[in-house]
Amino acid sequence: MRQTFPVRLGAAEESLIAQLKAAGATQAAERVTVAGLPTRRVEAYHYTDLKTLLRAIPPLAQAANEATGTALRVPGAYALSIVNGAVLGAATAPEGIKVGKTQGGVLTNRDDVIVSVSNALAKETLSLDLKGAVEQVVQIDHRIEGEAGHVADATKIFVADDSSAVILETFSGSDAAHVGNHATYLALGRNAVVTHVTIDLSTRATSHFATNEYHLADGAQLRTLVIHAGAGLARTHLFPRMAGEGAHADVTGLNLVSDGQHSDITMETQHAVPHTSSQPLFKSITRGRSKAVVQGKLIVARDAQKTDAKFMHQGLMLSDDAEILSKPELEIYADDVVCGHGSTCGKLDEDSLFYLLSRGIPKAEAETMLVRGFIAELIDPIEDEALNEALQGIVDNWLLGDK
Amino acid sequence: MTTPVLEIRNLHARIEEREILKGVNLVIPQGQVHAIMGRNGSGKSTLSYVLAGKEDYEVTEGEILLNGENILEMEPHERAAAGLFLAFQYPIEIPGVATMTFLKAAINAQRKARGEGELTTPDFMRAVKEAGAQLNVDSEMLKRPLNVGFSGGEKKRAEIMQMALLKPSLAVLDETDSGLDIDALQVVSKGVNALRDGKRSMLVITHYQRLLNHIVPDVVHVFSDGKIVESGDKDLALQLEAKGYADYDGQAA
Repeated sequence: MRQTFPVRLGAAEESLIAQLKAAGATQAAERVTVAGLPTRRVEAYHYTDLKTLLRAIPPLAQAANEATGTALRVPGAYALSIVNGAVLGAATAPEGIKVGKTQGGVLTNRDDVIVSVSNALAKETLSLDLKGAVEQVVQIDHRIEGEAGHVADATKIFVADDSSAVILETFSGSDAAHVGNHATYLALGRNAVVTHVTIDLSTRATSHFATNEYHLADGAQLRTLVIHAGAGLARTHLFPRMAGEGAHADVTGLNLVSDGQHSDITMETQHAVPHTSSQPLFKSITRGRSKAVVQGKLIVARDAQKTDAKFMHQGLMLSDDAEILSKPELEIYADDVVCGHGSTCGKLDEDSLFYLLSRGIPKAEAETMLVRGFIAELIDPIEDEALNEALQGIVDNWLLGDK
Repeated sequence: MTTPVLEIRNLHARIEEREILKGVNLVIPQGQVHAIMGRNGSGKSTLSYVLAGKEDYEVTEGEILLNGENILEMEPHERAAAGLFLAFQYPIEIPGVATMTFLKAAINAQRKARGEGELTTPDFMRAVKEAGAQLNVDSEMLKRPLNVGFSGGEKKRAEIMQMALLKPSLAVLDETDSGLDIDALQVVSKGVNALRDGKRSMLVITHYQRLLNHIVPDVVHVFSDGKIVESGDKDLALQLEAKGYADYDGQAA
């Protein structure tokens, strides 16, 4: 239920409203004015209360001419960059890849502040058309450069019928209190096979928001992997839509959370037609005083019979002070479906650790092996060797990094 | 006189408030195989865990000397590098860790601890292949996650294969026969016997005599209520099989 009395607006909301008004997005501005940023009373933000967590919105980022670096280089990848919201001139695209620029937002409008801000503020849109078996990994390197800035960028990707591609999006930037709002719309044609990996490697000072919308036509196969390993506050909202018969999505994600961080992966999958399946599998590893959130909602339409979907979240706590929060939701309107959800949470298994120690492996190395083992299910299916290695490297760096 | 491979002196250990080992004394000279027999709950497995250094147990008294060196202050991985190997009664399944990766990590960690260089990949592969062939461990099994989905026999064969690769000076075999049918028992025993080289010592823990038909011990000890109550040659195991452990119940008190 929408609140009818006016909410008290904080500094973050005031700046956001001013930015929306300046961009001519009256409706979006009005919405923030009336409702404010979502609190824990808004179900989708129950564990990620933006009113408390997001205290300031920096000014809209100035245009930047170049990226000062990249967080991740994958050998052999075809890389494009979006810096402070602007698509930078791309090198000649390999066969099967068409790069273009359009204007405006890419997300379907919904009752969500991150989505409405994205649609209101995203100016330049990177558009990619992929056709045939695209061999090279396509990397979109998102950077926020300079002083603390608010950036909304948008990407629209079409993968043609019977085509295949591996798409990597990386997010990083200068060490400042940026707020990034990144939107990706990815449409898979009939029988298209796509792997989409997004990795947040921003600095701790950054607040990272990403919204990924997927549209799967008949027989399309999608594997997604979201990794949060950077920003102090990170939230990725996934909206897969299983729109064609025989479509299947492995929707996966990993929160790597250290002291002081808050990471949230929230998914809402629509099974819109009969005979579709999805396998959402998320893992969270926490240490120090930190918080990881995974919410997964499966919506099965009235005539989407034979839907097969199971949501799973597994948490691994490396400290006693961390919190792992899990919320599955099923909204099923069809009567002949197999849907389920599960959630587990625990520490490293003492017996497994002792077994490795007893073979001469020192404790730190044994723990690393067990953590890698814990997430192998997510990383192993990424077949591109260079990308797989890069992902393994991110996990190893996290394990070696500040607690 | 040469230093015994294992010397346990008046070992007392407890878990939480319960004392389980109540004064164990045991000496295993180089190259000998000793068996410990006793009924379930007598503390046999506790002894193996205390030797390997499992955290749950607190040693309240006594010493454990491995090749003359007190290992009680050592971490489990240091004990392994010092030459101790425990073949688990129930080898742990570790999803996501390939058996091959694990073997390489274990071998190289021990070599590093002893100041030796890492094995090259070809040398490692050769060693694994050799050890695997003896124990019917094929390359398909080695690609699987450690012990995951292995049958009882496969798990025990994999344990002995690890032992062959890690070349300990003392191997402790905890109920290695449990869960094995006769064929598997023969393969495992053959593997163990192949590692008896006149130098390596073994402590075989079991409560059935049948394993000792295959792995013939030099000395048999009877374990009851947390300590060794009788020692003898291999015939002692046969007597136990015939009469059971009832005779020893009184002695423990």
